[in-house]
Amino acid sequence: MAGRRSHSGRRSKAQQEFVSEAEEILERLRADLADLLDARAGAEEPGPELVNRLFRSAHSLKGLAGGFGRDAMGGLAHRLEDLLDGLRLGRVSLDSPAIDLLDEAIGLLAGLLDVEEEPGAAPLAGAAAEMVERIQAALCQADPTPGAQPVAHLDPALRRALTEYEEHRVLENVRRGRHLHLLEATLDVQAFEEGLTELTQAAREGGEVISTLPAPGEAPETQIRFTLLVASDLDQDAFRTRLQLPDASVRRVHAGGPPAPAAEATAAPPAPEPPAGPRELTSLKSISGTVRVDIRKLDELMNLVGELVIQRSALGAFAGRLAADARTARLGTDLGKLHQGLDRRLQDLQAAVLDVRMVPLAQVFEKLARVVRRLRRDEGKAVRLEIRGADTELDKLIVEDLVDPLMHVVRNAFDHAIEPPEERQAAGKPAEGRIRIEAFQRGNHVVIQVSDDGRGIDAEGVRRHAVQRGLVAPDEPLARKRLVETLLVPGFSTRDTVTATSGRGVGLDVVRTNLTALGGLLDLDWTPGLGTTVTFTLPITLAIIQALMVRVGGERFAIPLASVLETLVVEAARVQRSEGRELLNLRGEALPLRRLADEFGLVADPGTEELHVVVLGLGGARLGLLVDGLLGKQDAVIKPIQGPIQRLRGIAGATELGSHDAVLVLDVSALVEDALARPEAA
Amino acid sequence: MSRSDPTPTQPGPGPAAWRELARAAVEAPGAGAPEFVNELLVIELAGTAYALPIERVREIVRLRVITRVPRVPAEVRGVTSLRGEIFQVVDLRRRLGLPAAEADRRARIVVLHGDEGRTTGLLVDAVREVRRAPASSLRPPAPGTSPAVTALCLAGEEFVSLLDVDGVLDLGHDAA
Repeated sequence: MAGRRSHSGRRSKAQQEFVSEAEEILERLRADLADLLDARAGAEEPGPELVNRLFRSAHSLKGLAGGFGRDAMGGLAHRLEDLLDGLRLGRVSLDSPAIDLLDEAIGLLAGLLDVEEEPGAAPLAGAAAEMVERIQAALCQADPTPGAQPVAHLDPALRRALTEYEEHRVLENVRRGRHLHLLEATLDVQAFEEGLTELTQAAREGGEVISTLPAPGEAPETQIRFTLLVASDLDQDAFRTRLQLPDASVRRVHAGGPPAPAAEATAAPPAPEPPAGPRELTSLKSISGTVRVDIRKLDELMNLVGELVIQRSALGAFAGRLAADARTARLGTDLGKLHQGLDRRLQDLQAAVLDVRMVPLAQVFEKLARVVRRLRRDEGKAVRLEIRGADTELDKLIVEDLVDPLMHVVRNAFDHAIEPPEERQAAGKPAEGRIRIEAFQRGNHVVIQVSDDGRGIDAEGVRRHAVQRGLVAPDEPLARKRLVETLLVPGFSTRDTVTATSGRGVGLDVVRTNLTALGGLLDLDWTPGLGTTVTFTLPITLAIIQALMVRVGGERFAIPLASVLETLVVEAARVQRSEGRELLNLRGEALPLRRLADEFGLVADPGTEELHVVVLGLGGARLGLLVDGLLGKQDAVIKPIQGPIQRLRGIAGATELGSHDAVLVLDVSALVEDALARPEAA
Repeated sequence: MSRSDPTPTQPGPGPAAWRELARAAVEAPGAGAPEFVNELLVIELAGTAYALPIERVREIVRLRVITRVPRVPAEVRGVTSLRGEIFQVVDLRRRLGLPAAEADRRARIVVLHGDEGRTTGLLVDAVREVRRAPASSLRPPAPGTSPAVTALCLAGEEFVSLLDVDGVLDLGHDAA
C-alpha cells in the first residue's frame, strides 16, 4: 500500500471497503467458531458444512488481507486456513490444542484490523507472528495421525474419483457407523440442473451428500446420468423410502455398524454387495456440469447466428421469387417448405444462444444487499431492504452495466430519501426505513423498481436550484413531468451542488445516461412525505431484435419492435395542433406526434391523405412517429456503427439486410426523450 | 487482407515526425542520416495526387451502397457494411474542402485500420499506386495548404500531398 495514513486521516474508499468486508468475515468466523466449540463441548460431530465455512472464511480473509498488503493479518489468516483445512480433511483432530487457540487468533485479527497501519500496530503484528508459531507448536504436540484409517470397501474406481476431502468424509462417516449409498439417476440434459438440485435436496434430507459425479454409460444423448455418494444413518431400504424418488436407484456400497472407536477402525465390515459390474469412474472427473465462457465468444456465436438469419431471409425471398413464376412454382414451394423448417431451427438456435447469455439479477441484488448492510452498520441507520424478483433474467452484458446505476439509486434512497428515525416517527412512520428492489419482466423488457418510504423529492428545492441555474424562469410553474426532466438535465444535480439538502435525485442524470446507453429508460415518481420510486426499463437483450422496417424520405430505418405498441394509418385531417405540437386523439388520449423526417432532416414524401403512425412506448412515455410507409417486420442483429463519430444521437446502431445494405436502427429511448423533452417545437 | 486484423502492421511515423522528416530533407539534403523509406498509398482527389501512409490502410474496396446518416457533419457520407462490419465513410473531397463531384467507376473506399470501433472508410476519386518515399523526397508543405497535409513527396515531376490521417478523421475540430 502506498503511503501511511495519519492517525486522524480519513480512510480511502477502498480502505473502507476492505475494513467492512474483513469485519463481515470476522463476524462469520466468530459465530461459526462458537458453534464449533459448542459441538466439541457436547461431544458432537460438527457438521461438515460448518467446518467448510470456517475454512472458507479464513481463506477469504487471507486473500483480502493479501490484496491490501496487510501482511501480519494475511500471515495469521493463512495459518488459520491451514489449520482449518487440516480439520476439514481430518488431518487435525477437533481435540487438538491448536483448536483452543482459534478464539484468541480471531481476536488478534480483529485487533489488527482496527489499528490499521498506525504506530499501535507493531506490537500486535508481533503478537500475530507469535500466534502463528504457537499454532504450529500446538499442532506438533498433537497426535498427527488421528488413529489408523478406517477402510470402506469402495470400488477403487469410485475412490479415485473422490477428492481428498470427499474421501475424508467417506472415512469419517464409516467411522461413525453410517451407511454409504450410491444414488443413481438419469436426467434430461435440458433440465438436468433443476433435476440434480431436486435430487440433491432430497438426498440431503436422508444424509450427507459426499460427492456428485456424472456417470457415463448407455444413456441416450438427450439424457445424462448422475451418481450421488450419500452417507446416511438410514439403511438402504429406509433411505429409498425416505427419498420417494421413483426415478432414482439406490445401491448400498457400505453397510454401517456400531461406531468404531477411532483407534481400531481398520476392521470395517466387508462390502456386503460388490458393485454391479465394472464402472469407469476414473474418466469422469473431466465431465463437469458447467463451462465458463468468455462473453465475447458468445458475441461471436451470436454474430454467426445473426448472419445465418440474414442468409435465411435471402433464401426466403428467393423461394418467393421462384414460387411466383409459373415455370418454377413447384420448386419454389418446395424450397419454401425447406426454408420454413430452417426458420424454425434457427429460431430455436437463436433462443438457445440468447438463453446462454441470460443471468438472473440475483447477483446484482446480492451486491446491493451487501452495501445496504454495510451502510446500516457504518452509519447506524435502521433501514430494511426488501428484494423481489431476483430470479428475473437479463442479458449478462446489461446486468454488468446495471450495478453502478442501481447502486447509485439505492445509496440515494439510503443517504438522502430516508429520514432520521425521530423525523420519521414525528411524521407517523415506522422508525425503520424501507427500501424495496423489485424486478419483473414485461414483454421484451425487464422493469426494475427501487422504492423507498422516505420523504420524496423536494420539489421546491429542485425548483430553486433550477431557477438559480437559469434552467427555469422564476415565475414558470413546474409541472411534475417538467420537474423530472429538469432533474435529469446533465450536471443538474451533482454532488457538489447539493450536499446539505437532500431528496433532489442526486446524480440521476448520470444514471439516466448509463441506462440510455443500454437502451433503457429511467422514470421517477414520488409522493411528498411518503416515498420515491425510481423505475428502470431495460430491453432483455441487446444482441438480436425483431424490427419494424419503415420508410422515410427514401431511406429505410429499423425500429425495435419491442418498443412499438401499435401502428396506425390515419387521415391527415385527424392531426391536431396544440401549442405548436402535433397531437393525435387516440382513443381519447392525446398522443404527441413527431415526424421522423423532421427529426432527421429528411424530405418526407409529398403529403398524402393518409399518414402512417408508429406508436412507440417506453416506460410510461408514448410517442407517435410519422413515417412515409411501413415495410414489414424483420429480425435484426444490431451492430455498432464504427467510425470517427462515436455518438450518433437517435441511432442505436445499424443492421445488415440480405442485400448487404446497412440500415440504421432507431434509438427509441433517445427519440422519445428528445421529442418529449423539447418544450416547444417549431 | 485478413478479415479483421486490428493492429496495423507497423506503427508508422506520426504527423509531427513526417513534418520533421520533410524539414530535415530540405535543411540537410544528403546528410549522413540513414535514408528513411516509407510506403505511401497514392490516391487522387479532384485531379490531384494525395497520399496516405500505407500502414494505416487496411484494404481498398470498390464503391458500394452507402446509407445516409442523419445529424452528422456533411463530411460523413454515410455508413456502409463490409463483411458484417458497419462503419462510417468520410468523403475526402468534402473533408479537404475540394469541390464535390459525382463518384464514377474509378471511385474507391479506402478502409483504414481502427481500433476500438473506429474502423473508417475514406471515399476517394481513385487509387493510383503504392510508392516508396525515401526521406530525401519529402518537402515541407507550401504555406497556406490545408493543415491536414503534413508533407509533400516528390514523385517524379509531381508533388504528392501526404495527409495526416488522424487530422482527417478528427471531425470535431478544424474543417481543413
